[in-house]
Amino acid sequence: MVGERKISVFSVINTLILCLVAVATLYPIVYITAVSLSDTAAVVQGKVFLFPKGLNLEAYIEVLKNDTIPRAYLNSIFYTAFGTLVNLLFTAVAAYPLSQKGFFGRKFFMMTIVLTMFLNPGIIPTYVVVQQLGLTDSVWALVLPNAIWTMELIILKSFYENMSSQIREAALIDGASEYRILFNIVIPLSKPALASIGLFYFMGHWNSFFLPLIYLNDPDKYPLQVVLRDMLIYSAENDAGLVDRSALAPQSIKNATIVLSMIPVLLIYPFAQKYFAKGVMLGSEKG
Amino acid sequence: MADIGTEHSAAYHNAVPKKSFRSRLRKTWNHIKRDRQLLLLFLPCILFYVIFRYGPLYGLIIAFKDYSVFTGVLGSEWVGFKHFITFFTNQDFWILFRNTLLLGMYSLIFGFPFPIMLALLLNEVRNKWFKKSVQTFSYLPAFLSVVIISSMIIDFLSPNHGILNQMLAAFGFEKKYFLVDPGWFRPIYVISEIWANAGYESIIYLAAIAGISPTLYEAAKVDGASRFHMIRHITLPGLFPTMLIMFILKTGSMIRVGYEKVLLLYNPMTYDVADVFSTYVYRKGLLESNYSYAAAVGLFEALVAMVMLLSANALSKRLGGNGLW
Repeated sequence: MVGERKISVFSVINTLILCLVAVATLYPIVYITAVSLSDTAAVVQGKVFLFPKGLNLEAYIEVLKNDTIPRAYLNSIFYTAFGTLVNLLFTAVAAYPLSQKGFFGRKFFMMTIVLTMFLNPGIIPTYVVVQQLGLTDSVWALVLPNAIWTMELIILKSFYENMSSQIREAALIDGASEYRILFNIVIPLSKPALASIGLFYFMGHWNSFFLPLIYLNDPDKYPLQVVLRDMLIYSAENDAGLVDRSALAPQSIKNATIVLSMIPVLLIYPFAQKYFAKGVMLGSEKG
Repeated sequence: MADIGTEHSAAYHNAVPKKSFRSRLRKTWNHIKRDRQLLLLFLPCILFYVIFRYGPLYGLIIAFKDYSVFTGVLGSEWVGFKHFITFFTNQDFWILFRNTLLLGMYSLIFGFPFPIMLALLLNEVRNKWFKKSVQTFSYLPAFLSVVIISSMIIDFLSPNHGILNQMLAAFGFEKKYFLVDPGWFRPIYVISEIWANAGYESIIYLAAIAGISPTLYEAAKVDGASRFHMIRHITLPGLFPTMLIMFILKTGSMIRVGYEKVLLLYNPMTYDVADVFSTYVYRKGLLESNYSYAAAVGLFEALVAMVMLLSANALSKRLGGNGLW
């Protein structure tokens, strides 16, 4: 039948286009990895396309011997772990009262919170607040100004609202305090939701470069993304002919650093993507 | 009850005798007392929003002052609209305005259809495994930082070893210095934006498609509709409300172009096309410590963003959509 053939032609084209999409997304990442594993000479001559040429780990050894990058890596791990923990704690503790129907001032609080999503004062006033509080150059400057993401707070609040209220009422009758109910019952029961919003917080901290750039002055405190950015600026200026080539980190070293910075992300990706899609959906429904 | 809201409630409240007011106060006090544990739990949240969300809003008054770190927000001198006038009469103003608007508009116009098309194509795939794999790959870029994405861009376009220039060379073309050529900045920005966001945004459209009633498709099939007919007459109309919402949100944030990426990709040779409000704010405010002036520019940017959000919302309502509120 004519109709059937049409459909199969469509399917073939569709499959081809989608394969192209997959290749287009993956190729840059594969290429970066291949360069990081290749011989410097082969990279400079532009011989690397898909597979590493002259396979070796020299760039990685070089990166680990260097003292800036391992320190930046440890800084990133610390900022991410600590920051995500603070985010989750703040969000969970804030979402719980907001999810209780009769909570004092609930409507007013919700309104003032949601309003902040539309009122964005910009970077300067926030910077001034952080500066006046004396947080600059400490981990608190990276953590406190964004301790709660309004979208994640709303997501967690609606998750709590959908939890059975009977457990809470029973616990209250048994004389449990709200603190115990939150930390011993509600939080353990909301692990999937916390994992979902925790993922966004985690990604936010690990990939953050602008906040550390403006709030940290001491290069010893720089996280990986800022160090990467410095390498990047040099290579960009080199391409523009603005910088002496000898001042430049070799391509393979830069790419080895990029690969190292992607490792935690790629490791959690298979587990994370399930929660990720869910989180995007929840966010968009409420948004 | 005094607290039932009616049109006359304001007048009614004035007439409420003192005793009732006191009893209401007591009721409120009892409510607070009952919720004291919850309120204590809520205290960090209140502090956070007051200090870091409403504090900076109040701090915007420095746009009308000559702020310095030493005099503080309150102690610095009022200067009225001085910074705004400096900004509007500055020759940079129109360049910044044009750059911001063009970069935002191109991203919106060219970036908008891609996630929709991707979702439509994915929806037509029968093989579940294939669909899932493509989807999984397509939102991987959303997990990469701007620094990494910019780094990849610089790598690919490098005249020394970049893969694109090698391909050009292979076909006998001359080397191109993409990142210092003002004509290439906007295409590079927009294409990389699509690369990074299309997969991630398609999730929302795929979910919206999943929400369309299957009976519509079955009925269409019985009537002999082809796949294209079904996409055209069922899926696309079904996606329309989601598209409108996404459009409003994107218009609202259009003016705040991804300044992080601009910051990483621009250089003195492309300032003329690449410099946008936010990067200007960063340079003037944080690099040159011109806080008040930069805050004024930021405030102007925020106002433009607000106006655009409101107009997009109004437009959506006129088109028969729901709007955000």
